[in-house]
This record gives sequence, C-alpha cells and structure tokens, in this order.
Amino acid sequence: MSNLWDLEHLKPRPDIVVPGETMSAVFWNAVALRGPQVIMRQKHLGLWREWTWLQTAQAVREIGDGLLSLGFKAGNCASILSNTVVEWVLADMAVLSCGGVSNGIYPTDAAEQVQYLCQDSGTRILFVEDEEQLDKVLAVRENLPLLTKIIVFDTEGLRDFSDDSVIGLDTLRELGRIHAKTHPGALDARAAACKADDLAILVYTSGTTGKPKGAMHSHRGIVYTIRGYNSIVAQDEHDERMCFLPLCHIAERLGGEYFALYTGSILNFVENPETVPENVREIAPTVFTAVPRVWEKFYSAVAIALRESGKVQQLAYGWGLGVGTRIADRVLAGQTVGPLLKLQFQLAKLVALNNVRKMIGIHRARFCVTGAAPISPDLVKWYLALGVPMLEVWGMTETCGAATYTPADRIKPGMIGPACPYNEVKLDPATGEIMVRGTNVFMGYLNLPDKTAETITPDGWLHTGDVGQVDGDGYFRITDRMKDIIITAGGKNITPSELENDLKFSPYITDAVVVGDKRPYLIVIVMIDQENVEKFAQDRDIPFSNYTSLTRAKEVQELIWGEVERVNKKFARVEQIKKFFLLETQLTAEDDELTPTMKLKRKLVEKKYADRIEALYKS
Amino acid sequence: MSNATAGATVVLKLSNVESAYGPIRAIRGVSLQVIRGQIATVLGSNGAGKSTILKTISGIIDPRKGSIEFKGEDITARDPALIVQRGLSHVPEGREVFPLLSVHDNLLMGAYTRKDRDGVARDMQAVYGYFPILKERATQDAGLLSGGQQQMLSISRALMAAPELILLDEPSLGLSPRLTREIFEIVIRINRERGTTFLLVEQNANMALNVADFGYVLENGRIVMEDTCERLREKEDIKEFYLGMKETGVRGERRWKKKKTWR
Repeated sequence: MSNLWDLEHLKPRPDIVVPGETMSAVFWNAVALRGPQVIMRQKHLGLWREWTWLQTAQAVREIGDGLLSLGFKAGNCASILSNTVVEWVLADMAVLSCGGVSNGIYPTDAAEQVQYLCQDSGTRILFVEDEEQLDKVLAVRENLPLLTKIIVFDTEGLRDFSDDSVIGLDTLRELGRIHAKTHPGALDARAAACKADDLAILVYTSGTTGKPKGAMHSHRGIVYTIRGYNSIVAQDEHDERMCFLPLCHIAERLGGEYFALYTGSILNFVENPETVPENVREIAPTVFTAVPRVWEKFYSAVAIALRESGKVQQLAYGWGLGVGTRIADRVLAGQTVGPLLKLQFQLAKLVALNNVRKMIGIHRARFCVTGAAPISPDLVKWYLALGVPMLEVWGMTETCGAATYTPADRIKPGMIGPACPYNEVKLDPATGEIMVRGTNVFMGYLNLPDKTAETITPDGWLHTGDVGQVDGDGYFRITDRMKDIIITAGGKNITPSELENDLKFSPYITDAVVVGDKRPYLIVIVMIDQENVEKFAQDRDIPFSNYTSLTRAKEVQELIWGEVERVNKKFARVEQIKKFFLLETQLTAEDDELTPTMKLKRKLVEKKYADRIEALYKS
Repeated sequence: MSNATAGATVVLKLSNVESAYGPIRAIRGVSLQVIRGQIATVLGSNGAGKSTILKTISGIIDPRKGSIEFKGEDITARDPALIVQRGLSHVPEGREVFPLLSVHDNLLMGAYTRKDRDGVARDMQAVYGYFPILKERATQDAGLLSGGQQQMLSISRALMAAPELILLDEPSLGLSPRLTREIFEIVIRINRERGTTFLLVEQNANMALNVADFGYVLENGRIVMEDTCERLREKEDIKEFYLGMKETGVRGERRWKKKKTWR
C-alpha cells in the first residue's frame, strides 16, 4: 500500500516503450512485443475472461479484413455506439488499422443525436453494442444515405431479425477470414500506408452549448501524447487499470485505452456503469484515472458508512485521518516525514485507513489521477490523507487530454500544476485565458474551419476557454470557464465553479449551478444526491414518498441550505449565495440537462428553469 | 402530488416505515396515507415489499422504524388482535382459510373479537348476500372450496369483524380472469355500500388501477411514484412496466427494457 512520503515508484519514463508513428503501428508492434501477455479482462457470466495480445490481434485482424471486404476505404469514417466493452477496443483498432477514421458515440445519446453525429462525421460503417443501440440507428437510418453497414457486437434477441445492412460482429469476422484468404497482406498494407499526419479519430465535444463539434486528432498527435503521458508518471505491464468511463470521451480513450496499449498495462472492463463500485473492489486497480464525480461518490459512501459505524470506529478513523493529514501537510510543504509520524501512520493504516481504502477499492493504487472537471481541493486532500497520491491533470478534448499535471512530490491542492513537459502553456496577457501549444493540440473541428480559426492562432496556440493564474513555480490555477464568469449587477466578477465545487463536496449534493449574471445577488440550483438525502430523511423520520416529495421536505431544504451556508462562509459577502432551489425530477444521462459524464449543463439548466429562477429573484 | 384532498380524512397513515426479515430490509422507508372511503392500491413487482407493508400495518411484523397511525391512534407494533378490534382487518395472500372448519365457522372466527351478537348475525346475512355460494356451502369444510370460493370466504371473514379498513393482499392470485373480475366487482360494491376503506396490494396492475382511486408504486422497498390511478394509467413507465404496453420500435419487436425514470 502506498505511502505519501515514498514516491520512488512514481517515476517518469522518457524512452519510447513501443515504436511506431501511427496508433495502428504502435498496436501491431506491441502485439509482436507482448504476444502471450494479457492486455484486457472482461467479465463473462460472472467470470473474468482474459484477452492476450495475440487473441486481441487476431480479432482486430479479422474485423479489419471484414471492413476491407465491405469496401471500407482509407480515410472513411466508422463510428462506435457502445458502452465501454472489449469490442469497442477491437473495433477501434481495426478501423485505425484500415487507415480509417474512428469516432465514438455516447450510448446515452438519443436517436436524433446519433443521426447528427453520423451525418456530420460521414459515417459509413457503424458498430453498435446491442439491440437497444441498434433500434436507435434503425429509427434514423433513412436519413443516413452514406451508412452502408451496421455491425452489432451482441446479437442476442436478433435471431429472427434479418436486414441486409445489419450483421453481427461474428459474421463480420467470418467475412474477414474469407477476405484474408484471397487478399493476404491487404490489411498490413493499409496500416503501413497510413501516415502520421492522417486523421485518426474524431472526438465530439459534449457541447454544453449548441451542437457537438468533432475535434480531429491525427495519429501523430495521439502517439506524441501517449509517449508524453509516460514522461509524467509511467505505468507498465504490471499495472492494472479499470476501463469504465465512456471511450468516446478523451479521458478514457487516451488515458485509458491508448495509454494502456502503449505501456501494456491491463485494461479491466467493468460490467456496466452501475457496477463500478463493486468492480473497483474486485479489480483493485494499481493505477486509477477517474473524473471528480467518481471520487466524490467514493468519499460520500465512506462518509455515510462512517456515520453508521460505532463510536470506536469513528474515533479510530478521526485519529487516523488526522495523522494522514499531518503527513500530507508536511509532504505538500516539501518537508520530510519523521520516524514517529511514519510509525503513527502505520498504526493509522492498521486501525482505520486500510479499511477505508479497501472499502473503496484503492488499496493497491500506486497513484490516482483526476481530471476532465474541476475537483474540490478538500477532496484531493482527503485522498492524500489516506496515503494515496491523487494527481490532478487538466486538459481538454482539444489538447488530447492532459496539458498540465500535478507532480506527485509537489501537489498544491487547488492548482492544476505546471505544463506537461510535452507542451507549452501560457496565459493570454490581455484576458488571462490559458493557451496551449504542442503536437498534442488537435487538428481542428471537422467541417468548421471558422471555429477552428477562432480556436487555434496562426502560430499554433490553442484558446482553451479557461481563465487562470500562474504562480512563481509555474503552477496554474483555473479560475473559471471564460464564458461562465458571472458579473453581478453590482459589477463583481464571480467564478461560479469555485462555489459549485465546494458545494459538490457535500455528500448531499451531486451537482450545482450558480446563477447571477447581471443580477443583484447569486442563487444556486442544486441536484441532490438521492441515496444520501434519502438516508438522511429516513434516519430523521422525515416523511417522503418519491423523489419530488423528498426535495420538497422542509428538513431537506434546510439541510441543503446548511450546506450552502457552509460554503458561503469561505467567500466574501458579495460572492455569497442568497437563495436556492432543488431540481425536483431525478435526472438520468439520457436527459438534456446532463452531459454524458453526468454534469449539469449550465446554459441548458438556466434556460429550462428560467421561470423558477425569475420567480426566486422576485420573491 | 399528495393524496390529502381537502376535506377528506386520513384513516391510515404510514410514516417512514422500515421492516426487515433478519438482515434483509424489505421496506426501506415507506410513507403513505389512505383516505376514508377510498380504495388505495400499492403496485409493485415480486419482492418489492408489498405484502410486508400490509403485514407491518396489521401488526404481524413489527417495524424497525417509523410509525403507523390508524384513525389518529398510533398502532405501531401493537398486538394484531387489538388492531382488529380497532377496525382494521387483513385478508392475507393465499386466503389462509381454516380448511377443517366449516364455511360458517370460518366466518364466525372472523367475528371472534366481537360481542354484539345481533350485529354479527346481520353481517353474516350481508356476507351471504355478497357471496351466495358461501351460503350454499355454509356447512362444508372450507378446505373443500375452490380457490375463488376460498378467496370469497377470506374476504367475508375479514368483513365479519365489521372493519373500517380492509387490507387486501393479492386477491387475484391464482384466479381466472373472470373470477378476478367478479371478486373485484364485489370489493367495489362493499366499498360503495358499506363505506369500507380498502388498501389493496396487487400484481395485476391493470385491474388494480381500474378499481382503485389512488395508487402508490413500490420498487425495492421504496415508493417511487404516487398519483391518482387515472393519472398513473397515463404515465409512460406504468404503461411499459406494469400494463405491458410498449412501443414496438422500428423492428416490430423489442426485448431490451427502457430505463425507468418514474416521472
């Protein structure tokens, strides 16, 4: 189990682990290098099934040949509409090996969004996970003239269904095997013909405003970035990762899939998005990348379990966490940890902290990485106190993931750290906007040359849209998204995300949107954490029946207001929240108000609840 | 949405009730109310905790938490016999008639807690009026009755306690659609004629929604939805998951299930 004072194992690795200038070349070279080793694991009928590199390679080859047999040309686009499963990776690598362009679509997207993404990307081949995803595509198929074949990973329930343009993955692999006999070497030739500067993948930005935009990444950018990741904190064949975030999101695609293929770390796939908490404990990843939402959930589970536990356990935890916090403080300040404190920490682990780590499933974690959204500094501090190095990275789809990172030995909670060694980061002197330049910066938005020109300056600097500051050590701090900054009627500039992140640290609040642009004061719209608030109500005999009545209960309103007040204390009077209301319907990823990563979309929420906001200001 | 319509009296009120079988929590915080003179229903799949709610109300199971009020009086975890005397009868799932007693004696068992002989005799006649077949078979052993007749007997036995509220657990269990309809028709008659309030638990959602005034949907021991039955019938999730009406989709058949949102 990791200690915070001993970070020897977190070493960068500057050399190239697997050669290759395109992602497909990296994959095939890695196959040659690691043949019989395990690269992926997925549960099938309750048992973890292993995929060696050779098995993976064979499947990718058959799918690739199958695509060739369907007339899939270099530069053509294939999309993947599926949850995070092994087949996603197989299809992705097959498309890239054909010299094609691979695009991911969120499985939570509605049929209309699937249609838009297929049209915009010019999708010719569409991989879908199952019957459910297939139905979405069939509903809009007539509007997709370019789409020639739909390939279904899991054909269960489709035995009686026949359609010329729909085939199962097994059938495609069969087609591939036949095609390979008459066209030996065709796939290898395709892969070899692929150039580093060719377009490799499209990653659609979740689009909190307007239509999603397709960010284009070249093979060069991807390979450069994954090599770069290893130069921050290296992972290798001994590491176990959990693959669970949507693969259409840059974080899991680059930081999970591609980085693991490059380094040989094992990808363990969760059963489905709901089983993540159980699967973490089973897998016990040694390297764990997740979004703040996941870290918040783990923390709430511990906080709630603690409230249920006995007095002795609570005391042990309180003392243990105190020792951990003292160590974290010393390490963060660059001081050494004395032998007595080390001894105390061993005891703290024994009586409490090891159990907490095991309960979450991070007891083997060498380090954890958080990114893709802002995280509360208090939360980072909590993980550090458990003795788990929690590194924050900051980046975006357009920078191929991480652009800044917090080095393990010098974490400043609340700051996103210095620039990653592989790219430059600076502040725009005029606006304070953070700018990034490097090979990892994307090629531009598909079909949107004007937007691309707005985003990348002629000399290669990317406008990130985040406003920040930088300190003497070159550490950056994000103050807010440029377009989210609130200027109250009083003329005060307020960065809502600071308030929102502190609110989200509460186990009772899942997400919050602070409103107040051109208004006399700030108000907040809160999405409660159903499980924890239900428990709160039940423990106190507060009657409620369904979700709506729960949010309306007086005590729940008071509870949330208490949380708001707690956060308010940290801010100056003009920056404080004066009123609030709770969202009364329970939102799911299918709802417009949420991004597929379960964040509230600020603009949409403001628009949809305009009446309630207006009413609150009038009251 | 609340069941407390203006002017109506709440006859039964559950607040945050939790019941468990050993370590297994069957109901996890249920709050609901039943209005006098209404038929209320609790819908839910197998194992949702419907029967547990009824057993907790009638005192067969003591709740771990929460309180139950009947006619303004706290009856939480009271003796079941006392609860019957207060005017609350329970028709258990699977009828549970006394098989070796005659039909007539079974009915008298229902009136065991009563002292008013005249009243008992009057109710006996009323029951025979609702279910003439029971009169024909009054002297036979109850164990010889058909399933439907046993259900009639079980309801009648509850009526013999002259209750104000009857808890009715799955009356349609194992009965033909025609018999089910007949039994429900009589439940409605009893409700209209005698003013008896019902709390009905049913898996046959279609039937329950047609008979009842107000409904609660129970999933995993928690109420996820409550509304008048009229409005519940129009909800998407109710249609798909309880009434078996679903859009067939483009392929004309659909196996996968939508996510329940309960809106």
